[in-house]
Amino acid sequence: MDEIGLKAAHSAVFKDSDSLEGICTRIEGYDFNQGVNYSGLLKSMLSTGFQASNLGEAIEIVNNMINWRLSDETIAENGSEKENDPTYIESVRTKVFLGFTSNLISSGIRETVRYLTEHRMVDVIVTTTGGIEEDLIKCLSPTYKGDFSLPGAELRSRGLNRIGNLLVPNDNYCRFEDWIIPILDQMLKEQLEENVLWTPSKLIARLGREINNDSSYLYWAFKASLLAFVLVSNKIPVFCPGLTDGSLGDMLYFHSFRSPGLIIDLVQDVRAMNSEAVLASPRRTGMIILGGGLPKHHICNANMMRNGADYAVYINTAQEYDGSDSGARPDEAVSWGKIRDSARTVKVHCDATIAFPLLVAETFASGSKKFSA
Amino acid sequence: MSDEEHHFESKADAGASKTYPQQAGTIRKNGYIVIKGRPCKVVEVSTSKTGKHGHAKCHFVAIDIFTAKKLEDIVPSSHNCDVPHVNRTDYQLIDISEDGFVSLLTDSGDTKDDLRLPTDENLLKQIKDGFADGKDLVVSVMSAMGEEQICALKDIGPK
Repeated sequence: MDEIGLKAAHSAVFKDSDSLEGICTRIEGYDFNQGVNYSGLLKSMLSTGFQASNLGEAIEIVNNMINWRLSDETIAENGSEKENDPTYIESVRTKVFLGFTSNLISSGIRETVRYLTEHRMVDVIVTTTGGIEEDLIKCLSPTYKGDFSLPGAELRSRGLNRIGNLLVPNDNYCRFEDWIIPILDQMLKEQLEENVLWTPSKLIARLGREINNDSSYLYWAFKASLLAFVLVSNKIPVFCPGLTDGSLGDMLYFHSFRSPGLIIDLVQDVRAMNSEAVLASPRRTGMIILGGGLPKHHICNANMMRNGADYAVYINTAQEYDGSDSGARPDEAVSWGKIRDSARTVKVHCDATIAFPLLVAETFASGSKKFSA
Repeated sequence: MSDEEHHFESKADAGASKTYPQQAGTIRKNGYIVIKGRPCKVVEVSTSKTGKHGHAKCHFVAIDIFTAKKLEDIVPSSHNCDVPHVNRTDYQLIDISEDGFVSLLTDSGDTKDDLRLPTDENLLKQIKDGFADGKDLVVSVMSAMGEEQICALKDIGPK
């Protein structure tokens, strides 16, 4: 090669670069020479890159969300008496919306969700029908580990239903039917005799009361609503506008033949859900959404009513190239006003069964957070 | 007094039940079933196997034997359903009264006058015309769950 060509090639490859020192985080992973320190390992994710960094950011965002108090804001001088009361403004926290798809409740993430509801660490839950029934069914009979590759026809002949690599025996659903039909009968009676107008969230709260089992997150969500009257603490309504789309819906269908007339009102629930967002002020709102579909959109949509959430963490495996809402990144929600443009957001491209327990370990469960009551 | 303590039902069918229980999974097409308290004849049965919706279930489509209305029910196949006792008895037609009742001759020679003319238009016309023509008519009366209705007609006279 001649000298000029060599010099041109040299300058192309070794182009002068901007310095990132002090501006961007250095990439450095965990050093196992310091032993297996799980907390250190999780903290190192932020500087490991790719989705580990996204998870690290999610941990930071959730910690910000949890730790924020109204006292962190500068209060307007002509604010009301309440707004100037230091005890009050130090008690005002972010309102946390938690959404997840049904399959996660079939999985062991149910135990993580139960922990969060037990300790009243979230304010509103949105899920799909399986997210309700799988929690209740597990109190009656367990789900088992199987394999993705088990052949469908054989499973059908053995009365086993496959959810990914989990197996749910038909018998579990039979027990669910035997358990729930008398409750629906009772609810119909209350509707006719006491003029109760049931909504999906009221029905779910009732089921949480009836299951009366502390392994169920719905039980704790119901208890929170009870305690909200006594303590100054949050209720935890559970919204499921798609209530008919699952085994619970099948039960409503069959029940309507034997004992017709049960009415379940969606309109009241959409009022309640949107009010959770609209009436949240002066609280900030945060969204933690596992998976896509209905729970993701329903939470984002409610937050649109208050011009957007202040924090958003998505954990899902969906992609945006097909234009789906499930795959849409937080920035798409910003264009709708579902998330504020000043908000801190991140999407962790990861199966929530891996990412969510790790996230909770470094945030809600890490014990150093300021949780009231 | 003692009479008041022992008051028996004077009706002949006292003690005989109007329905009997049968497992839903054994009820077939053209059988009978009680839906919403009405005696019905089954026109369609479909079964869904045990699955996510719970126990195996039978879906019945049936026609009320007196009003011809279509009724449906879904029942777990292991549950019992009520099946009506359906009886058909033939009586000779003696008379039709002005207010729409018929007078029938029973086997024992008594008259039975408490039955109305059927509401089905075809059958009604056949009875009225046949009777007006002086034919010897025998009516089939279907009875179930305390209700009775004329369901068919036969001309037994000479051709």
